[in-house]
Amino acid sequence: MNGRAPEDVLETVVREEWGRLTSLLLARFRRLDLVEDALGDAVEAAARRWPLDGAPDNPAGWLHTTAARRVLDRLRAEAMTHRKEPLLVVESERAAAGGVRADPGDLVEDDLLRLVLMCTHPALDPAAASALTLRLVLGVSTADIARLFLVPEPTMAARITRAKKKIVAAGIPFAVPSAEDLPERLDTVAQTAYLAFTAGYAPGSGPDVVRADLAGEAVRLVRVVLRLRPEEPVLVALLALMLLQHSRRDARADAAGSLVLLPDQDRARWHRDEIAEAVALCGSPALAGPVTMQAAAYALQARIALEHATAANAEETDWRRVVALYDALVGLTPTPSARLARAVAVAEDQGPRAGLAALEGLDDELPHSHRLPAVRAELLGRAGDVEAARAAYDLAVERCRNQAERDLLVRRREGLGRGG
Amino acid sequence: MRYVVLLAHDPGDRAWPDEATRERFVDDHEAFERFVDEHGRRVAGAALADADLATTLRRGADGQVVVSDGPYADTVEQVGGYYEVELPDLDTAIAAARLLPRQYTLEIRPTVQVEGHRVG
Repeated sequence: MNGRAPEDVLETVVREEWGRLTSLLLARFRRLDLVEDALGDAVEAAARRWPLDGAPDNPAGWLHTTAARRVLDRLRAEAMTHRKEPLLVVESERAAAGGVRADPGDLVEDDLLRLVLMCTHPALDPAAASALTLRLVLGVSTADIARLFLVPEPTMAARITRAKKKIVAAGIPFAVPSAEDLPERLDTVAQTAYLAFTAGYAPGSGPDVVRADLAGEAVRLVRVVLRLRPEEPVLVALLALMLLQHSRRDARADAAGSLVLLPDQDRARWHRDEIAEAVALCGSPALAGPVTMQAAAYALQARIALEHATAANAEETDWRRVVALYDALVGLTPTPSARLARAVAVAEDQGPRAGLAALEGLDDELPHSHRLPAVRAELLGRAGDVEAARAAYDLAVERCRNQAERDLLVRRREGLGRGG
Repeated sequence: MRYVVLLAHDPGDRAWPDEATRERFVDDHEAFERFVDEHGRRVAGAALADADLATTLRRGADGQVVVSDGPYADTVEQVGGYYEVELPDLDTAIAAARLLPRQYTLEIRPTVQVEGHRVG
């Protein structure tokens, strides 16, 4: 660590090694409640000591030793009072009891993967799992997670504590499931990461247009898991999709902080390196074979995003191909949001009336969405039906809870009939 | 870990459309039981009579017990039986519960352990 400031060394090691340190300590002590606190204490101690003594040669080792000592101190104190806390169920215990085990020849035994699978277990509330994963795998502080998810810190702390409690009390294991169950579980890992990602990009309310920080952390999470499972289709497809959406972060808002929609974005501000990486991922052999439905859905969405990312400008977009990809996506998972997005593409390809027809039947499924009336308003406006467009904008504005999006809707409504 | 698996079903479904369905139902229960025996042990279990035979006791505002006809929760799905099992972890419990008849909605709950006493 020669020459680097101790503060930088600490920041790097926390950023890169937090999950691995957590998983090592959990495998050894099986105490979810103590490990996180002990590691936090070790980082605090490092922040005090390293600037005075210089950063150690092995910073991760230093943190591990210090945290382990803290846990042992606590365990000793508990032994004095004869308290007995419930332990995390770990792999060895399951094996001894004849539990379901993955074929060890099939899978790399990896504590970090166990940690990820435990945090993203489908028996946890998805939002809580997503927060817990950011905390335990990436080391994002509870205060930052609360800020990113737009909830007060005590609320987020309580949510994370509840998830940790359920893991221990319900016997969610610190383990890799059987080879048969693993793909499904990795789908859930992907969903958890994507939930964190979209929470960053499509805030339900509040003033932020782009909360790229959270999205960036979600990308980092997928990279961590992908390092453990390099050819996993669902992770390859998800990373491609995320990178393509994330590459537009600097173009999604103008200087005044207002939302800028895809056709109006300054494409020079897209991150080309991320697009290039996504192109490579979309062409990966991992996506050529049979994949889970979740992986296929992410891959299709990534290919749609890729059409936009590689078009020189909005006019050059190959809408016919985009519609064909949406047809495949709707065929696979006919979710209302996929059908809504397909209708937009249909309108671009075949005109506003065709787009409006493609919206039919969605009202019952999206009774609270502001996007559906917003899309309808836009298409009615293009079709020249100004009165109906205005009514649809009114409904969209009424339903929209995001300030930046609502401002945009109001501007669009005002521009009706003025050729705008 | 010790778990109770609650088996909920729509009581209207209990009549068997044919013999094959009934056999499949019994087979699925047996597959569950074999899996549990292999990976842990069965502690207890029972099939329950329909909820219209249930009797509910509640404390009234005055502290008196009020006895009434019917189950405590008036929902379409009713608990139709339970298993108490000992299994290594929730994943194993889920793997076991997947084997039960498809008619059921299943709820897995860990039992609470008395402090200072670890079952198993």
